[in-house]
Amino acid sequence: MVLKRFCRFFLFGSVLFLLSFFLMPIDSFAADIGNCLLCHKYPGLSRIDENGKFRLLFVNEPIFNNSVHAKVKCEGCHTDIKKIPHDTAKKVDCLTECHIKEPSSEQQFSHQEVAGFLTKSVHTKLDKEQNPKQYVEDMPYCKDCHDNPLYRPLSFFKRVRPGISETALGRCRVCHKKDEFIFRFYNHVTTRLHKIRSPKNIAEMCGRCHDDAQLVARHNLSTKAVFSYGETYHGKAAAFLDERIPDCLDCHVNRGESVHQMLSHTDPLSVTHENNKAGICNSIECHPKASPKLASYKVHPEFDLKQSPSQYYFRVFFITLTGGTLLPLMGIIFFDLIRRLFPNVTIRRRK
Amino acid sequence: MNKSKKNIIRIKNGQKYFFRFSVNQRIQHFILATCVIVLALTGFPLKFHDAFWAHRLYALFGGIKAAPIVHKTAGVVMLLLFVYHCIYTCYHAYVGQIIPLKEKEGLSVGKLVKVVLSHPFIPNLKDVRDIIGLLKYLFFLSDKRPDGTEWTWKEKMDFWGPFWGIPVLGISGLIMWNKELATQLIPGEVINFCLIAHSDEALLAALFLFIWHWYNVHFSTSVFPMGTVFITGYLQEELMVEEHYQYYKEVMKEAGLEHEILPPHGPHAHEHVEGGSVA
Repeated sequence: MVLKRFCRFFLFGSVLFLLSFFLMPIDSFAADIGNCLLCHKYPGLSRIDENGKFRLLFVNEPIFNNSVHAKVKCEGCHTDIKKIPHDTAKKVDCLTECHIKEPSSEQQFSHQEVAGFLTKSVHTKLDKEQNPKQYVEDMPYCKDCHDNPLYRPLSFFKRVRPGISETALGRCRVCHKKDEFIFRFYNHVTTRLHKIRSPKNIAEMCGRCHDDAQLVARHNLSTKAVFSYGETYHGKAAAFLDERIPDCLDCHVNRGESVHQMLSHTDPLSVTHENNKAGICNSIECHPKASPKLASYKVHPEFDLKQSPSQYYFRVFFITLTGGTLLPLMGIIFFDLIRRLFPNVTIRRRK
Repeated sequence: MNKSKKNIIRIKNGQKYFFRFSVNQRIQHFILATCVIVLALTGFPLKFHDAFWAHRLYALFGGIKAAPIVHKTAGVVMLLLFVYHCIYTCYHAYVGQIIPLKEKEGLSVGKLVKVVLSHPFIPNLKDVRDIIGLLKYLFFLSDKRPDGTEWTWKEKMDFWGPFWGIPVLGISGLIMWNKELATQLIPGEVINFCLIAHSDEALLAALFLFIWHWYNVHFSTSVFPMGTVFITGYLQEELMVEEHYQYYKEVMKEAGLEHEILPPHGPHAHEHVEGGSVA
């Protein structure tokens, strides 16, 4: 009798265990080994920190699982958390070595190299003498530009479109057996074959600093970069979510180099240097048939007197022409409407 | 414009209608109006890309992938129409004025200039007098609107506006569209000037047409809710009296209808009718 009960319990337990595998969502492969979602799965989980700032501590699991960090364990970034419940967590250091191994070198992965690129770029915190720059706090670091981006997979079957190609997955399955592996690598590779962010998103990200009038003035920059980008067709098309249009990174990063290695336009090695600009305009992906003369096009026009007097006065001419034409005509319309209300009133009659 | 004055009047249901535009001219106007509206609807969302309506309006034309193609197509059609209209105008001036002059008196540069200046669409002193007269009327200093001729200063503005606007918009648009080709000859900075000219001139043209032109032909209380001359080619007698009184009297006299000439627009009209009876 006892054995029978045990067998029944064992069988029931086994079925439940197996069912839990089959019923598990296909994307639930997040590395929540520390069971952090036990608490962080609740949407209302939040607090006011010591600076009075509202902190939402909720982790949306389906969204997180579709992000580029889905395979990184929570403890991989939050290295100071050793127990549950934990104390106030320290800020994440993006240069931490996480548990992932870079497959080509078999080395523990970290973003350390990116920090190296950044120190050689215009955004470095150090000047040429390796002293902290003036207004060093304005220089961006990882989280000023990056959040935890989502995969943006592409399908290349028959035509390029956003999303995962089921046909391609079928080809992957010929050799690779684990769907979790296939999905992750498909997402990883195709997301990196194009931009993870649209030109509009990238411009908005750069604009957080480069459209800040005080920051622009502090660093003696020539323009509010994203505002003036929006004055050209490039910026206008980006606002309409055109993915083909050049964004900040397309013109300010040397081809083939990390986007973190952006150089000042005064650096002779910079792609935006006066002598190199033509090469970026008539590159194969932009205006390949254009003459080098195209490079004198001002991609950051503000039409102000300081930046370009000729364009400023040209615009003043059109504004004057518009006002000079329309205001008198609109005045005539206004008085015509009034006159029609009082057709019999006349101060002086014609003789 | 192309009819003899005797054939200008058409009577329908006891109402007189006066010929203004031929079928050819009405088709030209229809194409121009369609192009202008399409160009405005596909161009201004780009100019005002931050506005709340811009994205929805642009989406109606297929968004950033299709709307620029619609814009360029409408632009090309408008440019071709402009070229056609120039040829059309020159041809009519040649056949209607230059050939008869050549056969009658012979041609010289002076006579040619005289022919050009006598063209009904060339602004003249009468237009200046009419503008002053209108201002006096609007400011209650006169009780009578100016006696308009066949083509008033308002219509001349409507006509010459596109003659300035279309080349500015067309040339700047073509340069921006074909920047690779254009910059073989001109520096890239010219494209910045083209963008200013294209964008600001388009705004001027659109405001001029949608406010001034539409007020005169559709929204003025005399014609509201819509003028029909652009469809029928004929203008009602009351509107002829209001805007083209001098020409109206000439036409009526030539048609032998002096006795049916209506008084000019205005409350004290009966005091000023010349050679006509008051109904």
